[in-house]
Amino acid sequence: MAIRVKVMDRPVEQVSYVRATLSGLAHTFKHLVDPHKVTTQYPEETEALSKRWRGTHRMLTNEDGKAKCVACGLCPTVCPANCIKLVPGEDEQGNRFPLVFEIDEFRCIFCGYCQEVCPEEAIHLGRHYENAEYTRDGFVYDLERLTSQTHPVCEMWDPADPAGE
Amino acid sequence: MTAPVAPANPGMVTLTIEGRIVVVPPGTNLIEAAKTAGVLIPHYCYHPSLPVAGVCRMCLVEVEKFPKLTPACATSVGEGQVVHVHSDKAREARKGVLEFLLINHPLDCPICDQAGECELQDYTFAEGRKDSRYMEPKRFNPMEDFGGDVLYVPNRCILCTRCVRFMDVMAKDPVLNVSERGDRAYIGKFEGRDLTHAWAGNVVDLCPVGALLSKDFLNRARAWELDRAASVCPSCSQGCNVMLETRDNVVVRIRPRPNAAVNQHFACDVGRMNYRWINRRDRLEYPVARTANALTPASWSEAVQQAAAAIGGATHVTVLASPSLSNETLFLLSRIAVHVGASSVMTMERGDEVPLPGVPDLSLRAERVANHTGAALFGSTESDAPLASLAAGDVLIVADAAASVTTIPDGVRVVVIGTVLHESLLPHVVAALPVCNFAEEDGTFTNLRGRVQRFLQAKAAPAQARPSYRVVGELATALGAGSFPPLAADVFAVMAATFPAFTGMTYRTLGLQGAPLPLLVEASA
Repeated sequence: MAIRVKVMDRPVEQVSYVRATLSGLAHTFKHLVDPHKVTTQYPEETEALSKRWRGTHRMLTNEDGKAKCVACGLCPTVCPANCIKLVPGEDEQGNRFPLVFEIDEFRCIFCGYCQEVCPEEAIHLGRHYENAEYTRDGFVYDLERLTSQTHPVCEMWDPADPAGE
Repeated sequence: MTAPVAPANPGMVTLTIEGRIVVVPPGTNLIEAAKTAGVLIPHYCYHPSLPVAGVCRMCLVEVEKFPKLTPACATSVGEGQVVHVHSDKAREARKGVLEFLLINHPLDCPICDQAGECELQDYTFAEGRKDSRYMEPKRFNPMEDFGGDVLYVPNRCILCTRCVRFMDVMAKDPVLNVSERGDRAYIGKFEGRDLTHAWAGNVVDLCPVGALLSKDFLNRARAWELDRAASVCPSCSQGCNVMLETRDNVVVRIRPRPNAAVNQHFACDVGRMNYRWINRRDRLEYPVARTANALTPASWSEAVQQAAAAIGGATHVTVLASPSLSNETLFLLSRIAVHVGASSVMTMERGDEVPLPGVPDLSLRAERVANHTGAALFGSTESDAPLASLAAGDVLIVADAAASVTTIPDGVRVVVIGTVLHESLLPHVVAALPVCNFAEEDGTFTNLRGRVQRFLQAKAAPAQARPSYRVVGELATALGAGSFPPLAADVFAVMAATFPAFTGMTYRTLGLQGAPLPLLVEASA
């Protein structure tokens, strides 16, 4: 049995595409002159990050330019991704300091536990997301790189709103 | 209120601690009595191996019908006593004690070596205040080198005087004292004296906080990163029970493990420091056999066959075994020696005997090898010139004793079963079989009093090295001396069945505290 198609007989002003096209074009032209911008012109422009944004790490330094880290070993202990390598040592004054401090940013899950646990407020996550390297090794940040970076660091909580509400 | 019904325990004291009935001998103090009930009474100055001082006031507990709180370390048990360790009153008192202890404490846990195994941390976490009310500047004293291996950080000191009492009573070398008084007090050394006693390293373990530190271990590792394995110190024939502590498969520290029958809670500095050789990297890592006049890497079966062929074709076989090998390995070597009619010799390194006067029969022994009693039991005789009788055509089996091998006559072939391959042996070696050192395998040592003690594997073996009992067992099998199981516990069982001296012993009955040889027990009974 052949399929029967019901042909609706509708007035032309209802089925014409001309009206819809014109209304769409009107919308487009309206946005052409509307000053409200949707697109950010990255990389020339960037969006502001939240103060609690957790990106690649930074190690803060004290006045004489040395890392604040005292190699207490809490961050490698607390790190759930096991991405921090720390070898403690002693400097000439007998102070503890990290001989080796490496963070594998590929392994890192950016949970922020290292920053939270740090008793010296040395290791911080950064408000930074532009990461590109020519080799995979470049993502293992050593102490020199961690201390020389200058991007702003994460505030784990807003001092004005410590409960995060 | 009716008194708790005491079970019939003549000669014993029955009391209640934290609602649990405890039966202990009279004269026991409350800390020890509570331990038997599984209750830990916080304490600093009390140590089971040292005389009671009662200075830290941390072990205050509430005893019913006592007018005030009493220090548990200095209170003997009494019949029908009811002790409350965690009552509000006792907890409040200990909280106050902790607050005072922390007044001048620098709170530098991040850089303190004791962090993670610090009793001040533990008890503060369990019962202390969360904050400090102390506003004044903290007292500061500089670090002081106490000589020997010990570093003193006075700011962290809680003046429990365990170290002072150890040097007084145990070492009988009273170098330490409490200098000054009140809040200026610190642990001082007597003028011109240093902590150089051979057992002085124990003060580092005894210190419940991070005030006394080992210079050797300083900043090397955090306590929670360490893996621990029960072992026996191989540095002398005393056989002190120790804990081998490893970090990333490297032994970083040796600490004593309590054993009332051998070393109580102590270990000497020689034993503590003698661990670097365990980690050495220049090891024999794969089997080597001689083919066409050159030593080449070989498979295990080839190397064992080559060694067996050389031993089988020898005019005379000499076994030079290290007296620091385990009983199991020495037993299997003795099977080979009996089978091929070999003579077994050993050499021993000797040093000065240094006793710890406070503990009976505890001493750094003159024989600086772990198992010369075992080696002698298995027929090895000590010799100053073990290689004097070697002649061409002989085979020498060197079992991890190469340090004492210097010159070998021409025509003598050498089978090495060892951790390292010494260059002086190279021209003579027909086969070299890599084995584990004592930290890499299981086994037992027999100490000089005939106590058989187990040690457990603490780290992984390098490359292809195998446990020494397994290698020697395979060699014995290849020689036709019988077949032997590949596990240490099973080799020990075969040994106990073969050697009357070990009758009835198994790894299970030895436990981790060891047991004296049955023959000795009968002899003393």
